[in-house]
Amino acid sequence: MITGEQKPFEEIWNMVKDFKKVLVFGCNTCVAICHAGGGKEAEILASLLRMRAAEEGAAIEINHAAVERHCEPEFFQPVMENIRTYDLILSTACGVGVNLLSENIGDIPVFPAINTEFFGAVPRAGEFTELCAGCGNCILHLTGGICPIARCSKSLLNGPCGGTNNGNCEVSPDIKCAWVLIYDRMKKLNKLDLMKEINEAKDWSKAQGPRNFKVKVLEEIKK
Amino acid sequence: MEHVKSLLTKVGIDPERLEMFNLSAAMGPRWAEMCNEFTEKIRRLGPSPIWMATCSPKKNIKE
Repeated sequence: MITGEQKPFEEIWNMVKDFKKVLVFGCNTCVAICHAGGGKEAEILASLLRMRAAEEGAAIEINHAAVERHCEPEFFQPVMENIRTYDLILSTACGVGVNLLSENIGDIPVFPAINTEFFGAVPRAGEFTELCAGCGNCILHLTGGICPIARCSKSLLNGPCGGTNNGNCEVSPDIKCAWVLIYDRMKKLNKLDLMKEINEAKDWSKAQGPRNFKVKVLEEIKK
Repeated sequence: MEHVKSLLTKVGIDPERLEMFNLSAAMGPRWAEMCNEFTEKIRRLGPSPIWMATCSPKKNIKE
């Protein structure tokens, strides 16, 4: 899922303070799981902004709403007429949601209230970790299901490097060395011979944006 | 509670203005005690900045 963290409150306040009618618009999917931008967080943020506006004596009407997803138009289309009555949409969705809503809403600005970070796993409630970088050219079958692109600080295709330190990365003791994890995993799978093979340079063109694709089957059905 | 207190701090409200007490429905006297203590505490802290901001124009008119 997509993870994100709410921007510092001052930064958000500076974005909204010059507008008259603001909607804090939440997304109830990924960013709700990481307690950054769901309907509940949108409601809290709207409340904090109203308090700040009262303190500053700023006459801003601030409301909140949320839909299930901002990354598919069918979810926000039903409320479009209503949200077009605002001067500013402060979106707590990920960057994808902000982009798509901006494209669809017309001449109303859509600002981001959260910093979109990575797509990650939720090993325990409230903990998020990046396991895949979405590089567009998967090599997990060669690395024991552990991604060195996302999990090695240098994204090394052939590791470990000299900075591996008792199973941790030299960058931080909180980061496990991905190549030690790969080695341990390969050993368990009895595939250590794969470690000796040199992985050739990756085709990074697939990792660069703008990227898009169409599902062929659906395209054929449309025809 | 810590999270809500941190949110209040963000908007410039003293987190001391918020407190949570746990007690059973059978603890009437303790309930009254807590109410008195907290009321005293809030009186000591003075009016909230939000109340001051929203009421000050009216006050000025009266004055």
